[in-house]
Amino acid sequence: MPNQIRFDRASEMPMISISLGDMEWNKTGTWRAQRPFYEDKTPPCNAACPAGNDIVSFILRIKQGDFEGAWKLIREENPFPGICGRVCFHPCESKCNRGNFDEPIAIHALERFVADFATSLPKKIEKIPKEREEKIAIIGSGPAGMSCAYHLARLHYNVTVFESFSLAGGMLRMGIPAYRLPKDVLDRELSNIEALGVEIRTGVSIGEDLKIEDLRDYQAILIATGGHRSRTLNIPGEKGRGVLAGLDLLKKNNLKKKVELGERVAVIGGGNTAIDVARSVVRMGKKPVIVYRRSKEEMPAFEEEVAEAIEEGVKIRYLVNPIRIHHKDGQKRLECLRMELGEKDESGRRRPVSIPNSNFFIEVDSAIIAAGEEIEVSFLPRGIDKKDGILLTQTGGGTGIEGIFAGGDVASNQRTVTHAIGSGKKAAIAIDCYLKGDDGDKVIQPLLIGDGSSISIYPYLHPGEGIRNSHVVTFEELNMDYFEHVARQRQEKLRVRDRLKGYGEVTCTLKEGVAVEEAERCFSCGTCNECENCYIFCPDASILKESERITHQVDYDFCKGCGICFTECPRGAISLKEEAK
Amino acid sequence: MKRVITGNQAVAYGVILSRVDLISAYPITPQTTIVEELSELVASGRLKTKFLKVESEHSAMAALIGASTGGIRCFTATSSHGLAYMHEMLHWASGARLPIVMVNVNRAMGPPWNIWSDQSDSLSQRDTGWIQLYCENNQEVLDTILQAYRIAESVKLPIMVVLDAFVLSHTSEPVEIPSIEEVDQFLLPYCPEHPIDTQEPMAFSVITTPEYFFEFRYKIQKAMEQVPQIAKKVDDEFRSRFGRSYGAIEGYGSEEAEVLLVTSGTVTSTSRIVIQKLMQEGYSVAGLKIKRFRPFPSEEIYEAIKEAKKLVVIDRNLSAGVGGIFAQELRASLYSRDERPQVFGFVSGLGGRDITPNLIEEAIQYTLEHQKPEEEILWLGLKR
Repeated sequence: MPNQIRFDRASEMPMISISLGDMEWNKTGTWRAQRPFYEDKTPPCNAACPAGNDIVSFILRIKQGDFEGAWKLIREENPFPGICGRVCFHPCESKCNRGNFDEPIAIHALERFVADFATSLPKKIEKIPKEREEKIAIIGSGPAGMSCAYHLARLHYNVTVFESFSLAGGMLRMGIPAYRLPKDVLDRELSNIEALGVEIRTGVSIGEDLKIEDLRDYQAILIATGGHRSRTLNIPGEKGRGVLAGLDLLKKNNLKKKVELGERVAVIGGGNTAIDVARSVVRMGKKPVIVYRRSKEEMPAFEEEVAEAIEEGVKIRYLVNPIRIHHKDGQKRLECLRMELGEKDESGRRRPVSIPNSNFFIEVDSAIIAAGEEIEVSFLPRGIDKKDGILLTQTGGGTGIEGIFAGGDVASNQRTVTHAIGSGKKAAIAIDCYLKGDDGDKVIQPLLIGDGSSISIYPYLHPGEGIRNSHVVTFEELNMDYFEHVARQRQEKLRVRDRLKGYGEVTCTLKEGVAVEEAERCFSCGTCNECENCYIFCPDASILKESERITHQVDYDFCKGCGICFTECPRGAISLKEEAK
Repeated sequence: MKRVITGNQAVAYGVILSRVDLISAYPITPQTTIVEELSELVASGRLKTKFLKVESEHSAMAALIGASTGGIRCFTATSSHGLAYMHEMLHWASGARLPIVMVNVNRAMGPPWNIWSDQSDSLSQRDTGWIQLYCENNQEVLDTILQAYRIAESVKLPIMVVLDAFVLSHTSEPVEIPSIEEVDQFLLPYCPEHPIDTQEPMAFSVITTPEYFFEFRYKIQKAMEQVPQIAKKVDDEFRSRFGRSYGAIEGYGSEEAEVLLVTSGTVTSTSRIVIQKLMQEGYSVAGLKIKRFRPFPSEEIYEAIKEAKKLVVIDRNLSAGVGGIFAQELRASLYSRDERPQVFGFVSGLGGRDITPNLIEEAIQYTLEHQKPEEEILWLGLKR
């Protein structure tokens, strides 16, 4: 004990008990029974993002005013922040812990803000050198195909994307109206991928212009052709004139082709396609009525879009099931049955049951069927199995034929843009593993986040870095003493009158100040944002700093293991473990 | 300058003349007019002192502890329950060796609820390590405050200046008020022994193990033992500057009297008249005023009572189960002496009941008539 001051008699002692020396000789760390340590954990938003975005970290960058950093961070996982910020159904927000306190963070609005901010950056995306000899063909330029192409390019592969339409983008371009996803946003993010050196060959249909067998030069192939064939209702009269498929209407609109429609339009279905169709019909100056066989609660369409549709004048009739379309002089009568809800079905929703003899008619001029889409894979060689209407694949997208992978809607029933992006990413890793002779599924396993619905490519590209912790932070693990209720920021919307003038985007991007305020609401679950509570509260001054910043190191010489840092950390970024005895 | 002022106004003058930097207090009858007087002076800007409002006496003393540690001169005043509420902080002030000066206006402790004079509040605090000085008149109140800062800052111990409720606090008497220039000569600015230095941060009153705690207490006793000598020096200097002095005790009346009347506070003023009367009637009586209760002036008292055969002690307080506290202290201080007078311990005037000349004479007559007291506690003026 070199620094301890000792007194032998009272006369040597000071008048009062004061600290003449220091206590560094007293290594109080020896009293410790439990050890605190900094451990970033996975926030629930990150675990819920099928595209694998590191949401908490990019929000932290926004809070710090580093918008470019936020953009780069999103693009580590996802080449489509502008698209996802607009059309993603944001499962991250449903899981946001802040939802248990006041309202979830407007994550999609922040992602969109970052993407739109990036358009002001000097364009400097450089080609990635193609260090790998193997060539990879991707069939389909939708979100799955382009996400796969993006990550494969980053893995230094030579990638060619084949697209049957004259323009790239797949369902993003064909299936989503411009008032939700403006074409310039789509074009920009596709061209950012092309700029890396990815070749997109449009107007080439595999199956018609080229056969799979013609792609022998390619060492791996990804099938990402999506689901483009509209489902039919199997009712009499649906093949008659003036009955359209919903997706066809959207495609024609998006390609600016003329569509003939009567005044009164029935839209049959309750999914997002039905809503998109109905809102497009409104913009074409006609009067749509959505006919849906279940009730509002069972509607698969996103709530906010349903609300916007109603604002725009779309009528919805629930618990109505068309059983026949009568045609007479161009007029149509939809013969319908009234429905009621029965027991729950396998989707967890209550099954609609028809009420006998409840037949009635709806008079319309046109009918559009938007009852979902199916995949079209007749061009595929034998050897790839199907199940439940999709291609049967392994975790990484591997099919029954070696070297052929599948991703996106063609291989998944979770038909969303973000799931497609995630599945394209998984396929990129699986293809890289396949070409290197590694077991793709085994490599992918540790890259999965949370319960596995999300995947991060970052640790694969930067070995040893950015591995996501398997612990997903719960609301109970946070310390709410440090937060105040603050209302969620909302994106402004065009007035209905202005929306109906055309296909202008309905919602507006957050202003910079508003975005930063929203980012400041983030709890930063499981991720240290250097609030310094630990430093302030530590009674043993054992939280170490260097150049005024927390080092995330604890001075175990003196830390008594009281756990105050652990308790007072608002966001669960400190863990406590028992000391080895 | 001579003015007719109350005891509480005399306190205020003492505080003003001492150039106190911080006043923190909470009002309580009969102390209230002290706080009123000072806070109004501060509020009007005439007194350049910081006045800190607090929600309790405990906080008032806590604030002074911080301020005094920081090296400034500070003051508070209280009474009775307010003083009791401070109790914990009183130990802290003395343990931290802080030269805080506080005025306590003696008031009985309730219940029954009572606002009148009685020493049970201040004497309950006798073991807190504070010096206690009891005053007889308003002049002494003012002078004692000036002396108290000198003594406290010299021995690094807090001082309680005590005056009787109403009899002094609210009663006007002519008081000579010295000029501030004269006081400045007598009372220099306070220099703490361990000032706070932000460049060299230090923990104060840190935990002390059994290895050293004992020695810190020993040092407090040693500081108390220095008080008689330092207080005398200060009192002598005060006399040379202002022409008044008080001593730790003051004797009056017949030399070599057989019966000696021991009192404190305003009872002494009344006793002076009684002693004078009895002397004129030919009795061998004298009076002894005890001003300093802590440290107890055992030596001075022994010198003063050597010739007396009997002591009449009138206590305006009661330690239930024992009796009057001054009498107990006296008995204890005399016990080791080979020759010691008989102590007649009277308890009187509790809760502000007047201790009249007749009652005092009755006590002396009883003592003259008895070889020794018939009871351990002699109840004076009690409606038995």
